[in-house]
Amino acid sequence: MRRWWSHVWPPFVAVLFFLTVWQLCTSLFHIEQWILPSPADIAKQTADGAGDLWGHVWATVRLTLEGFIIGTVVGLIIALILHMIPFLKSALYPLLILSQNIPTIALAPLLMIWFGFGLLPKLIVITLVCFFPVAVATMGGLKQTDRMMLNYMRMIGASKQQIFTKLELPHALPSIFSGIKIAATYSVMGAVIAEWIGADKGIGYYMMLQKAGYRTDRMFVAIMIIVVLSLLMFGLIALLEKWLVRWKPKQEG
Amino acid sequence: MSISEETRIAAHSPAAQSELPPALEASGISKAFRTKRSSLQVLDNVSLTVQKGEFVSIVGPSGSGKSTLFHIIGGLVKPDTGTVHMNGTEVTGQQGHISYMPQQPALFPWRTIEDNVLLSQEVQGTVDKETREKARYWLDKVGLGGFEKAHPHTLSGGMQQRAAFLRALLSPQELMCLDEPFSALDALTRSDMQRWLLDIWEESRRSVLFITHNIEEALLLSSRIYVFSGRPASVLQTVDVPFPRPRREEIIEHPDFIKLRRELSGWMREEQRKMHLQS
Repeated sequence: MRRWWSHVWPPFVAVLFFLTVWQLCTSLFHIEQWILPSPADIAKQTADGAGDLWGHVWATVRLTLEGFIIGTVVGLIIALILHMIPFLKSALYPLLILSQNIPTIALAPLLMIWFGFGLLPKLIVITLVCFFPVAVATMGGLKQTDRMMLNYMRMIGASKQQIFTKLELPHALPSIFSGIKIAATYSVMGAVIAEWIGADKGIGYYMMLQKAGYRTDRMFVAIMIIVVLSLLMFGLIALLEKWLVRWKPKQEG
Repeated sequence: MSISEETRIAAHSPAAQSELPPALEASGISKAFRTKRSSLQVLDNVSLTVQKGEFVSIVGPSGSGKSTLFHIIGGLVKPDTGTVHMNGTEVTGQQGHISYMPQQPALFPWRTIEDNVLLSQEVQGTVDKETREKARYWLDKVGLGGFEKAHPHTLSGGMQQRAAFLRALLSPQELMCLDEPFSALDALTRSDMQRWLLDIWEESRRSVLFITHNIEEALLLSSRIYVFSGRPASVLQTVDVPFPRPRREEIIEHPDFIKLRRELSGWMREEQRKMHLQS
């Protein structure tokens, strides 16, 4: 417990310091609330408006989770196929990178035009943001299989499938998880962008409404919720990793 | 020495088994690695034999292509010329016929020690309750009792090496190929492990092909030693080690042992010197 605290207090103090400076600046320089609300204003707004927000938060959480799961599975499948067929990998890898150079914010309206305002275009947006880090990390992890262990498996006559399930996949697990962790935080962002473009509920939709009304304080509330959701997603995956990769030697520091 | 020990050893002596085909017979093996510009001859017409229940060593200067020979025997690499026979059947270029212990332990970090030790049997599909019990018996025997459910990174280098050796020992294949298994260990642990391997082998009497560049180790453990030349490697000398079995570590102080060691060291030094002149 004491050790845990020694890790937690430096960032905690840093955040506290940052919030204090912010609070002091807004009151010292008399900044208008519609330009930059103070942390106290935001806290008050959060407390007052909490009741109306739950519906939006829940909609975003659901969309995030659905998109994240689909995106991760797509990323894993792409990585496995490209890993098994090297020709496809050399042919499609540039395309994968290209797909990440198209700004999501430009692609989203197009998807709305093609697929309407339903769930499908939103899931496509999140999948597009999520699959890439998972696919790249998984392929990287599968490629870096330990030569010694690989030679050993071949020497004792392991089949391709045995090499994959007993060596390559468990060996790649830590890299796969680093990809999934990135995807988990991206998925919240993807969901919010999807909701900006066309939705009738969700945090993204709520932000759009408040922007129109110059309710900067409420936009900050929305941002805070997004940050918390991202952290929760990250924490969830980190826990899952800790449980699945518990054989890994603990790193110091 | 007890009587039962004596009879067992007699049953395992090469003379009693000379009619059986050898566990390993590699004949006329040559291999060159070619790139676009150049070709590097690594093995030149190497032939060697391991009889059933025999401990055979290969010593030679480092970088002389001994590991390549193992890769050929294990079927990872195809030789340019020559054949590999095991128990009378040709297995050139085929994998899965040897049990193998690499230079580094190469234990799988996500497996417990017990599951690591059983890996080869799992791949061959021969794990059952009996093999698990056998694995536990041996783990106990080699001083890894109580570590069955531990992960490799919690063990010391010597203990990991013992687990890697057990993994090879418990493999269903007849021939064990050990590739400089002690080279990464410190001197003290190394001599411990040599004594340990000697004891274990005296009990199990598996067919072993052992690569080392430590002459004392080779003399202590083997019935026969192939001395390899520098690159390209060929068999320079074949030495039959005359000391009786079961051996004790004390023989390293025997005058004959010291004489043989001096002789082998002389050859090795000469080869090492030639290799330096080449490069």
